[in-house]
Amino acid sequence: MSDLKEAEHQNTSESSDQGEFLEENAPGESENPMLIASDSYENLNYEILDGTSTAQRQTPNTESNETSTGEESNNEEQTETANDVAKKKQEIVPVEEDHDDVNSEHWRSQSKHIFILSEAGKPIYSRHGSEDKLVTIMGVMQALVSFVGDAKDSLRCMIAGDHKFVFLVRDHLLLVGVSSGMDSTHQILLQLTYVYNQVISVLTQSTLCKIFKQRRNYDLRRMLSGAEKFFDNLINLMDSEPGLLLGAVRCLPLDGSVREIIAQSIVQHAKIKDLVFGLIITNNQLIALVRIKKYYLHPMDLHLIMNLVNASESFKTAESWTPLCLPKFDSSGFLQAHISYLDDSCNTCLLLLTVDRESFFTLSDCKSKIKERLLKYNALRAISDSLQKTAYGIQQCGINDLRHFLYKSKSTAQYTSPELEAPYVTQKEKDRLFGLYKYLHHRIHTSGRPLKILFHVGPYETLLGWVTQGFELYAVFGPLVTKTSAIHAVNKLLRWIKREEDRLFILNSVTF
Amino acid sequence: MSGNKVDIKVVLLGKSYAGKTCLVERYLHERFNGETVPYQNTIGAAFGAKKVDVNGKKIVLGIWDTAGSERYESMSRIYYRNAKAAILCFDLTDKSSFDRIRFWIGELQTHEEACKIYICATKKDIIDADPNTRDVNEKEAQALAKDVMAELYETSSKTGENINELFMAIAQYYLETVKTTEVKEDMIYLNEVKKRLPCSCKST
Repeated sequence: MSDLKEAEHQNTSESSDQGEFLEENAPGESENPMLIASDSYENLNYEILDGTSTAQRQTPNTESNETSTGEESNNEEQTETANDVAKKKQEIVPVEEDHDDVNSEHWRSQSKHIFILSEAGKPIYSRHGSEDKLVTIMGVMQALVSFVGDAKDSLRCMIAGDHKFVFLVRDHLLLVGVSSGMDSTHQILLQLTYVYNQVISVLTQSTLCKIFKQRRNYDLRRMLSGAEKFFDNLINLMDSEPGLLLGAVRCLPLDGSVREIIAQSIVQHAKIKDLVFGLIITNNQLIALVRIKKYYLHPMDLHLIMNLVNASESFKTAESWTPLCLPKFDSSGFLQAHISYLDDSCNTCLLLLTVDRESFFTLSDCKSKIKERLLKYNALRAISDSLQKTAYGIQQCGINDLRHFLYKSKSTAQYTSPELEAPYVTQKEKDRLFGLYKYLHHRIHTSGRPLKILFHVGPYETLLGWVTQGFELYAVFGPLVTKTSAIHAVNKLLRWIKREEDRLFILNSVTF
Repeated sequence: MSGNKVDIKVVLLGKSYAGKTCLVERYLHERFNGETVPYQNTIGAAFGAKKVDVNGKKIVLGIWDTAGSERYESMSRIYYRNAKAAILCFDLTDKSSFDRIRFWIGELQTHEEACKIYICATKKDIIDADPNTRDVNEKEAQALAKDVMAELYETSSKTGENINELFMAIAQYYLETVKTTEVKEDMIYLNEVKKRLPCSCKST
């Protein structure tokens, strides 16, 4: 609690210092972005509203809770029922002795569970264990939600011991996240939204609604067969990749000129009617994105595209032609995607997204020409070089005691961070660091009391979070750093990022 | 491989895990990864092409390997549209995959009448090693093939058995039909000339 007071104190005492910094041109800022600028929870809040309205359980009571997004007040309300319920749940579990899955220590000790079930309580997906064996526990979840729903309220979260249970009801689906880690309830809700969007990406929202309108007790696993790996991969990604938490993408560090050549190759050779987006990605990083003038890509959609490529081996063997729904772009229909790798080692992937379902061969020709041009200008070489050497180490920033940071440029929805170095090399330490970022992110974005600056002294490191109009910065220092030196260091860091911004960010949005 | 260079569009259809991708891998690249690489379901459809030599004539087969998952069924038309040949695959060790074939036959007969159907039984090597694993009666398969005037091939992507034969048959059948249609086209052309002649006479 003392941290919090300190932080708030800090918040006021340092606000003048913050104003001093180049607010109008924050590093990585662009007036001409290609992605939709995103605030961490901005669209999530909107989606919660959206979710309750489709869940048809809205009451004036919950509505007022939503708009104020008073997480805390709501929590208290919920935990009362949550405690009862948690007791119930604990009782229920041991009764099911024959369920090897639920009772196995391995299953119980997983730090994060994600479940998808239908409104009728049919299991669709479970991150751990087989959903078949979890029928009973999913039935309990469904019962909880509909019990609270019966009282014209909606169950959003419960906290039992060190476990958080978060519920999201959308379009006949019930998504449940259970975490014993550092995730806040809001962050789990964001993750559930991602998982829901992944379902939409595979099926489209209209198909999903149609299916359940026809048969309420439909077994959706039939439609999702083969898509489980997308969920698995996405959830793993959310545990390791800060971009999904920040609502931002990471770009592969490249010289501005090389990036220009790559983008121009797409523009020149893929200027085709009905082509909406052309992009090149590698290893969860964006290399180039070209769009038609009217449309922007949302970072959430881009993460789903990266997940699609990342989770599938099958694109590596041949050119693929696949329907793909981008929920933020248009949740009701499919785009058709031409997906192929540009290099033999299958690192650099080209995606051409169109509305014309018949243009495979045209796009296939485009691909060959783009590849030819990239080879001619040595751009593929530059990409693989950049991939091979680590992006940059923290030493390159030249700041004492700064161990790691995440910097997000809000207007471009892109972020950058150095490679993980000692002491964050073991999986345990990496997870702990990510946990610290989640904590910092949560504290700053607490809906009831959003902060601008937070200075937090932990046992092993000192954290500084700073959010302005233009950027979000989360920095991790050694444990002995003072407030003033941290602020000083962060200002220095911002200047360094500014110098490197051409390499670290895509500042120019290229259109067809 | 550009679209206009493709002579025959061939599409593979069938339940997921029937072995479509392995079949194509074997035919196009002469390799089999089924035992080393874990099963990977196809996303959407993958395209590959191969040039074959039939009686001294070079023909390019454009092969569409489609995803077997049910969610793609409603969109499968974009993949089999204008296909000259469809290879309907089923797994000899899985009866349900054989039953799925009927769905595809119906689908093709309603939407793509001109498409020649080939029925392809896969994973023959498993049956050869252990006849008890056979789940689809050969006679039943043959009866179905006869019903729809299709040819039946029992193949193994692991050993390569019957795979070249299957694609060869597709190419040969195509050449034969092309000959007849070419003749037809010629005839039409002549007729048109005949028709046109009196017109030009009138005008002069």
